[in-house]
Amino acid sequence: MADEFEITDDMRKQFGVDSEPWTYEVTTTSVRMYARGIGSDDPIHYDVDFAKAQGFRSIVAPLGYLGTPVFLPGRNDPTFGFPRREGGPRLNIPFKGLLDGGTETEYLDVICAGDVLEETSHLADLKMRGKMLFVTNESVYKNKATGQVVAKQKLTSIHM
Amino acid sequence: MTEQVYFEDVSEGEEIPALKKNCSTQQLVLWAAGSGDFYQIHYDKDFAQKTGLPGLIVHGALKNAFLGQLLHDWIGEQGQLRKFGCSYRGMDVPNEDILCRGVVKKKYADGGKNFVELDIWTEKPDGKKMSPGTALVTLPARA
Repeated sequence: MADEFEITDDMRKQFGVDSEPWTYEVTTTSVRMYARGIGSDDPIHYDVDFAKAQGFRSIVAPLGYLGTPVFLPGRNDPTFGFPRREGGPRLNIPFKGLLDGGTETEYLDVICAGDVLEETSHLADLKMRGKMLFVTNESVYKNKATGQVVAKQKLTSIHM
Repeated sequence: MTEQVYFEDVSEGEEIPALKKNCSTQQLVLWAAGSGDFYQIHYDKDFAQKTGLPGLIVHGALKNAFLGQLLHDWIGEQGQLRKFGCSYRGMDVPNEDILCRGVVKKKYADGGKNFVELDIWTEKPDGKKMSPGTALVTLPARA
């Protein structure tokens, strides 16, 4: 199947086409869960009073955590949690194997528990390397309360 | 908490304090809950092997988050991370050390901010680099 797959002009036309926005929540519970997941014991991720004493709004999201997408049954992927949105790029990828290829995150502000973010994403790149397809999506995260862009993230997945 | 590092004290070529990780399968499940990534290759050995993998593997994004922790611990409360990322060049497995490392590549002041660029990566016990990447941070000045 990989031998038959090729990147078409129709696929390339989808570069930069923004998805509909989706809400990502940053809660005290989700920040603590993520911090436990990486094995951090820094109180800045767990103790609200401590974080406030350091000048933050609440506990601080560990680096790499940009909130959890709101889960709506039937609208989100049950395995990965990401939203299956109306509009935006659509690729019919025939490969069954999937691996992480890379992550790149740019921060424009600190993200804390209590923040509600609006994320939009678009297809940024497609590459074939041998029999593997590299798909890069770029997401932009805005703080819904202020409208300020707080982070941008590129995720590359490898399909084979 | 670590002692605050200042811009003046950093030299190009200097290695920052390493961070050693070793993921139990429980940690992979904790990470799945924290990140929302419940792909079975990270906690269901039979599923992983059916996909052709030798067994369970560590999430790539978890290694990226480990590098985030490496940077967070180094820059201290007064430092700011501007950008970081890595690519995943191979698989890591549970119960094996993952060493997170970083080296200062360049330091410069611009617009009143003190920037430091770093090369970062994760490493297997035999020294093989697995997740090479870069980072850009700002650090406070002593003055």
